Amino acid sequence: MRFIARYAKETLLGFEIITVYEDEIEKESISFKQPIIKTLAKKYPTAIWFERKMHDDFGIIIEDAFDKRPLVHQERFPKDIHPLRKNFNQDKLAYSDYLAYKYEEISGDGVFQVAVGPIHAGIIEPGHFQFSQAGEEILHLEVRHFYKNRGIEKMLEGKTLLEAKPIIERISGNESIAYQICWRDIVLQATKQELPLAIKKRHALLLELERTIHHLTDLGFIPNDGGFGAALAIGSKLAEDARRKMREFTGHRFGFGAIDFKNKFIDRVIFEKWLDELKNSIDFFEDWIMDIPSLWDRFDTTGVLSLRKALKYSTVGIVARASGVTQDRRNNKFYLDHGFIMASEVSGDVSARFKIRLQELKNSLVMMHNFLQEDKSLLELSNINDGEYQSFSESSIGELLMAIDIKDGVIERFYIRDPSFVNWQAVHLMMYHDIIADFPLINKSCDLSYAGNDL
Amino acid sequence: MIKFWYKRVRLGVLTENPELDKELAQIKKEIKEKVKKKFSGSLAIRMVDSGSCNACEAECNALANPYYDLERLGIYFVASPRHADVMLLSGVMTFNMTPHAKEAYAQIPEPKWVITLGDCPVMQAPFEKNYAIKAPAEEHLPITHHISGCPPSPLEIIQGLLEFLRKI
Repeated sequence: MRFIARYAKETLLGFEIITVYEDEIEKESISFKQPIIKTLAKKYPTAIWFERKMHDDFGIIIEDAFDKRPLVHQERFPKDIHPLRKNFNQDKLAYSDYLAYKYEEISGDGVFQVAVGPIHAGIIEPGHFQFSQAGEEILHLEVRHFYKNRGIEKMLEGKTLLEAKPIIERISGNESIAYQICWRDIVLQATKQELPLAIKKRHALLLELERTIHHLTDLGFIPNDGGFGAALAIGSKLAEDARRKMREFTGHRFGFGAIDFKNKFIDRVIFEKWLDELKNSIDFFEDWIMDIPSLWDRFDTTGVLSLRKALKYSTVGIVARASGVTQDRRNNKFYLDHGFIMASEVSGDVSARFKIRLQELKNSLVMMHNFLQEDKSLLELSNINDGEYQSFSESSIGELLMAIDIKDGVIERFYIRDPSFVNWQAVHLMMYHDIIADFPLINKSCDLSYAGNDL
Repeated sequence: MIKFWYKRVRLGVLTENPELDKELAQIKKEIKEKVKKKFSGSLAIRMVDSGSCNACEAECNALANPYYDLERLGIYFVASPRHADVMLLSGVMTFNMTPHAKEAYAQIPEPKWVITLGDCPVMQAPFEKNYAIKAPAEEHLPITHHISGCPPSPLEIIQGLLEFLRKI
């Protein structure tokens, strides 16, 4: 049974702990007086971040956890403050005394530590990586994030679903459409309405276009991190073309505000011509890059995540599919009818993650073709009903979960689990015995979000 | 590889907006002395993300694609604040990132400037002030110039940088 997420919410009598698995949801109630639960991390290692976050957010104690360090709260965060508690209303926090964070470190003769970040050498988001090194060889890596924590969960409480939309679409810029589709599904559940098929197809088309932009960017950047800049010139050019298409269709280069309940005109002839041209460019790119031996020498057997570990760590998305896990939220009738094919590789290395992107990219072009439908569908939203709602979508990184509780018409609890939140916890497994110079390459091959992870 | 070079020759130069070259030539003329003295003829930028959604970073990365090719204007992104003239700051300055952003600024050698990028650091984005947000940036750093947009497009970023060059 695949573990998906674990999060808490405050109720009148105490806390409710919700654990989401592939096929079932478990709920456990605890009181304010004894906010204690048992860890799941012994069976599902990725549960540990969920539980550490729960402690930071609510003060819930994980009795038998092997790792009780703070996760979201960093060195200068005031102690004993749990911002997601309902009685916490401050909008300003002063820095408290610096309390050092104890990193996971391997020590021994000649073993040394390399600290990287939070500010990195390129145009990248901030996050910290702590390496234990034996010469060039990586012995261990600890990934430490949450520098970008904007308090999104708290910020959205007390807002209506419509008021929350502009913030939700800006949680992670690269996955904006996927976030908006999760939001859309929750709106539809809360209004008990069905989406006209043409609008559903438009949204699916935009999601594939977003995936196309993201994959094209990565197909350029991954070889670039292997020292092959020519691929970036081609990848970034094609990504820019696709981003301009996004602007043409939605009025915004990242599709902010794109998901609404009205179908809009897309010129079929022009779009299909563009898709054909892009297909040709990608075929050229693939034919060319598969033939660069020095590049594949860097990619092959670098950053391997075995199938066993990929399953054990509940990984999702590109990372999981590159290791042989056939898991994709698009694996349903609607997508299969429009040409979806599950991408799959087995080697679990940088090569596999690169090839998965190529496969998915080509599949996205086919699906975009099939999703095109011109009509004037429109959905008038009815009233939003209170309740607890949950939705999933497949972003360009992987499976996204959104859970929203609505009470008296406004958001009572907002929870989101970005695919990066689980995949980041598997990144250290890919590093063992690789050299530190391969770290940027391995990291880029996963291309996880920091903003969506940190919230 | 020969296929690649065939394509490369057939495709020619893709870079757009040649008017920017002219504009820059004009600016260069205007502030030639200044640029020479302060920047040795080129402007080095250190990008610091203090809590953005990554769209501003994606647009800065796009500046390097063949359509915009920012480096032809002598403006380029550097890997360390110690190599920089300017800090380009995106994001809402989170509680956790603010000390690091200030530290990066302290590491930039004088003379130095800060440009805010996008609506986040000036609190014009939809995010609301809460316990985790320390923006606006002007409360923490001396801001010389602002490039607005959510996110600003690559062309707007280039124009913003040229405006900044005029200003100083």
